Amino acid sequence: MSATASPPVIPPPPSPPPAHTTTAEEREAITYYLEQEEGEAGQAPLQWVLVRRMFRYTEPYRARRNWLFVLTFLRGAQLPAMAWMIGQTINGPIAGRDWRGIQWYAAGYLALTLFMIATLHFRQRFALELGEAVVHDMRRDLFEKLATLPMSFFNQTKFGRIISRLTSDIDSIRVGVQDVAFVFAVQGMQMGVSAALMAWYDWKLFSIMLLLAPIIWVINEQYRRVMATRLRKVQQSWSRLASTLAESVGGIRVTQAFVRHEVNSGFFRKLVNVHGDNNVGVARATAVFVPLLQMKSQLFLGVMALLGGYGALKWQGWAHMEVGDLVMFFFLANLFFEPVQVLGDRYNQALTAMAGAERLYRLLDQEPAWSDSPEAKPLPPVRGRVEFQSVHFEYQPGRPVLTEISFLAEAGQTVALVGHTGSGKTTIAALLQKLYLPARGNILIDGYNLLDITGDSLHMQMGSVQQNNFLFSGSVLDNIRFARPEATEADVRRTLQTLDCLDMIEALSDGLHHQVGQQSAALSLGQRQLVCFARAMLADPRIVVLDEATSAIDTLTETRLQKALEILLRGRTAFVVAHRLSTIRKSDLVLVLDRGRIVEHGTHQTLLRDGGVYARLHREFIGAND
Amino acid sequence: MPAPTTSIQSSREYPTGELVRRLLALAWRFRADFLLSVSLGLVLLLLGLLGLQLLGAVIDVIRHALDPTQRAPSYPFGWMPPARWTALQIVTALALAIVAQAVLRAVMTYHYNLTTARLTQGEIVPDLRGKLYARLQRLSFHFFDVHGSSSIFNRVTGDVQNTRLFVDGVMLQGVNMLLTLGAYGIFMWRIHPGLTVACLWVAIPLWWVTDYYSRRLRPAYMLNRELSDELVQMFTESVKGMQTIKGFAAERHQIRRFAEANGRVSSQQRRIFQDISIFTPVTQLLSQVSLVILFAYGGWLFLKGEIPLGSGLVVFAGLLQQFNAQVANISTIANSVQQSLAAARRVFEVLDMPLGVESKPDAIIPKRLTGRIAFEAVTFGYAPENPALHEVSFEAQPGQVVGLFGMTGSGKSTVLSLIPRFYDPQGGRVTADGVDLRELDLDAFRRQVGIVYQESFLFSNTVSANIAFGHPHASQARIEQAARMACAHEFIIGLPHGYATVLGESGVDLSGGQRQRLALARALLLEPPILILDDPTASVDSKTEHEIVTALRTAMASRTTFVVSSRLSLLRRADVILVLENGRLIQSGTHDQLAHRPGLYHQTALLQLMDLGDVQGDAA
Repeated sequence: MSATASPPVIPPPPSPPPAHTTTAEEREAITYYLEQEEGEAGQAPLQWVLVRRMFRYTEPYRARRNWLFVLTFLRGAQLPAMAWMIGQTINGPIAGRDWRGIQWYAAGYLALTLFMIATLHFRQRFALELGEAVVHDMRRDLFEKLATLPMSFFNQTKFGRIISRLTSDIDSIRVGVQDVAFVFAVQGMQMGVSAALMAWYDWKLFSIMLLLAPIIWVINEQYRRVMATRLRKVQQSWSRLASTLAESVGGIRVTQAFVRHEVNSGFFRKLVNVHGDNNVGVARATAVFVPLLQMKSQLFLGVMALLGGYGALKWQGWAHMEVGDLVMFFFLANLFFEPVQVLGDRYNQALTAMAGAERLYRLLDQEPAWSDSPEAKPLPPVRGRVEFQSVHFEYQPGRPVLTEISFLAEAGQTVALVGHTGSGKTTIAALLQKLYLPARGNILIDGYNLLDITGDSLHMQMGSVQQNNFLFSGSVLDNIRFARPEATEADVRRTLQTLDCLDMIEALSDGLHHQVGQQSAALSLGQRQLVCFARAMLADPRIVVLDEATSAIDTLTETRLQKALEILLRGRTAFVVAHRLSTIRKSDLVLVLDRGRIVEHGTHQTLLRDGGVYARLHREFIGAND
Repeated sequence: MPAPTTSIQSSREYPTGELVRRLLALAWRFRADFLLSVSLGLVLLLLGLLGLQLLGAVIDVIRHALDPTQRAPSYPFGWMPPARWTALQIVTALALAIVAQAVLRAVMTYHYNLTTARLTQGEIVPDLRGKLYARLQRLSFHFFDVHGSSSIFNRVTGDVQNTRLFVDGVMLQGVNMLLTLGAYGIFMWRIHPGLTVACLWVAIPLWWVTDYYSRRLRPAYMLNRELSDELVQMFTESVKGMQTIKGFAAERHQIRRFAEANGRVSSQQRRIFQDISIFTPVTQLLSQVSLVILFAYGGWLFLKGEIPLGSGLVVFAGLLQQFNAQVANISTIANSVQQSLAAARRVFEVLDMPLGVESKPDAIIPKRLTGRIAFEAVTFGYAPENPALHEVSFEAQPGQVVGLFGMTGSGKSTVLSLIPRFYDPQGGRVTADGVDLRELDLDAFRRQVGIVYQESFLFSNTVSANIAFGHPHASQARIEQAARMACAHEFIIGLPHGYATVLGESGVDLSGGQRQRLALARALLLEPPILILDDPTASVDSKTEHEIVTALRTAMASRTTFVVSSRLSLLRRADVILVLENGRLIQSGTHDQLAHRPGLYHQTALLQLMDLGDVQGDAA
């Protein structure tokens, strides 16, 4: 529930009167099952455009890629060649009882093996490396793209969706690059070469065998279809199970306090059993189809033995066959059949890669809703005079969030923004930082219109402290010098001293080098806030935008933070989304907002005297504090 | 008396012997399917051998028929065709036998796969998961604090799967492997001992190489996982903290950091790739070498007439390939042993964890309590040697509101957690209506205590289900009544689907104040004589605090209420305020009494009233 530039509170669509009730059974469930809405497609049809774009990523590694193609074709021919060699050895020198021939053939086979091994080594390595290189570049491009997108993108896009671009989508593309393209080539080649060899040896036997191929294909397709539905069921029961488990762990205190363990355990056991059954269902599909697919080679051997027997012993003329052909087929047949299955699987992976690529490119192609105009200039050093001139803003067309906002803050003044949640306080702060562009009106800093200056140069002279006190994992030190990575530890120490709070950080087990993140003990709320203050202080901005934390901190720490805040704001223009009365009282200008309008402005004293909205709000404060 | 140490759960040692014994016992509990799997595996093995032999025999029969100077064919399992059969009839019979064998084998494979899946996914995994979950639901909070939610999550998910790996990945596979290696070895030996030795010695370096690489790659893969996790984490944080990044114009800095992490992942991957691309070819080379030996030496033997072509050489080639595949399997099984033992340790640790707080066998089931709660010289520490409470004594009369005040770590939340008996004190006792809590039936007693936490956990379920969490069968009317009491009814009917609105990740987000009021309704549904409020307004803003306080006012009436807060606005309403410092009760009294006595409460009152005083001055 972090309120970073809180997106608009959209009132729920006019819904039917709440006549709904829930059954006791639903209430025994720990989580409610929602059919995955607008889930992301797992596969997409092959698209030439996407393939070409993926291919373009291999361009920087052109040499390696081209070698890979050569190696791939070599390898596709090698396996049938080796099988053929084995057959030749048996049919030729061994059957012919030629000892020298056997030695020669064995030596030849060994040489072929060594060649195959070398090819395999390079083919495997190049394919893996090429895939990783492409993925590396895609990750880089993705991250750089994200850094250029304006905040509106992040507020409109589900967090999980952005993350899965990096995790699942790029990974499925990797499989596509590493595996699909080249394995396809190897297997296709292998199939072709072994087919040619077999046809050359005995076209009759081969054409009978060929009849089996479509059967295998059909079985394989059927298998895939059944598997897809069963796997989806497993996926569903799994996500239900996982979310229930996660909530059970998170809500353990509630469970024990409300004596729900038996109900919960019963419910969970049901989920586990359903999931188990679904898993067995998948296994059942595998158990039916895999032996069917394996049977084909056995079956073929049986048929081959029969026909070969008749062909060699009985049939004469065109139908006659050699025993040697039988031996040859024994070794070559599998090389022909195996790719049928493999190609089917890879084709599927290719479709998955397509879906991933489609989503990734959609993000990479995302036009920023806006960007700095080409004529925008860097902002020269400013004093910090801020003026809003009848500024309008809306996140969604037709739903104005700010209307007709005009005010002037002299350099060095502190402006407090006051109002209920959703009144537009945070939005004003965000507009000032040029995280969004106003729909109408102008924002001027020292007379420079924000539209005419670059966002970066603006941010260089601005510091922000957000309500959620966001920290990155890493040391406290790195977090403080986030805006100025070149700052030394001494600089950071001095900053903390200026804020008169060095002792609060030194109280941490490793002081400045204390790690923020999951592995270590968390920082207290007060310490987090202090780190954010120091981060802004070290950046030494002209203008500070501060979203005051709403959470209560123990009184002593609170007093110290208030003092640090005073030091931070001294001599700078400050915009504070204020929750604390003490902050408001010290401000030079208080803007009272209601539904996106400034309804009152003045100082704490004058506003109270006027007895308007602020005075009423103020009474609410007292009410809460009284 | 239950064990006094409810908290310190020393992670006990599990010697490998004990783990293996318990895992064997686990397999034994599902022995019907386990033994079925083993026997089906054996049948499959024999069928495979039969198939190969039949094919070899076909080749030999044909060769013999074409050229009677060739050696007479030998048939599998001592079968002899009737003498009057022609070669063609024999071939037909053998070919049909191959087909029959193939069909039978397919059927058996089906049963084998299904039985194994039923044994593991249908029986062992659900059993372990159900037991683990049931245990987890009763474990003390301390366990959850120490282990973190993701570790606990993994125990029920991944660790359970890895534990069952011992049954199929180690025991079944191991038996299969031993049988296969044994049967194939003997079979090859029968064809020709010398050839067997010549070909099989390759298995030794093959095993060695596989083992070496799996040892070498394991840490590399682990490092790889760590590096990628780091990368994903950095990505996640950057997306979450994008406003901070943009606010400080730190995009370029962050892009550089990401590029570094990205590079680290890639270059480490490349090292793994190099290893893999040596490993796979080398193993292939070794199995090819054995084929070369087979052709050279085997060909020579054939020339000397020591082995037949079909049932000798061809069969041998087939056997050899499968034999080598099984050898490569050894290291997979060895890996599975490590993996499953480590996982089993974590699973058993939870199953063996002492519950800490339990009902006595002859516990009293209390009738509705009046709500008189007394602490009698209670001493308690999460770690016994480090007490969080020292001899705390007080008594709350039915219907009273007791406020608890103190700095962080003073022990006020600890006092609260002893009332619903989440822990047992190490010294002294806690009584309800004069009865030691340890004499009461735990579940029945807890149902008479309602709790609202500082940050209320709501489940991703409907509003109704959340309110009725403690009593799923409550009527809708009762649910609404509880919601009204908690001043929540109004906003609930404003939600998209009213009481049927689904909350949480994929549902509707509520504000802090709304969440707290739902939590209050949840507690009030049970009409508890005792109500516990653990700093319920800590994380809401002043406006919302006002809403909650209003709701609390009605809720506290006619119940014994314990409330922890740092806000005097809430504490003022208490009949008695207990001030704690370092686990000791140092002051008690009403707000007016304490505010005028020097001490911690007085100081805080001054700080919080400073604003107030000023404001009142202004307003006047």
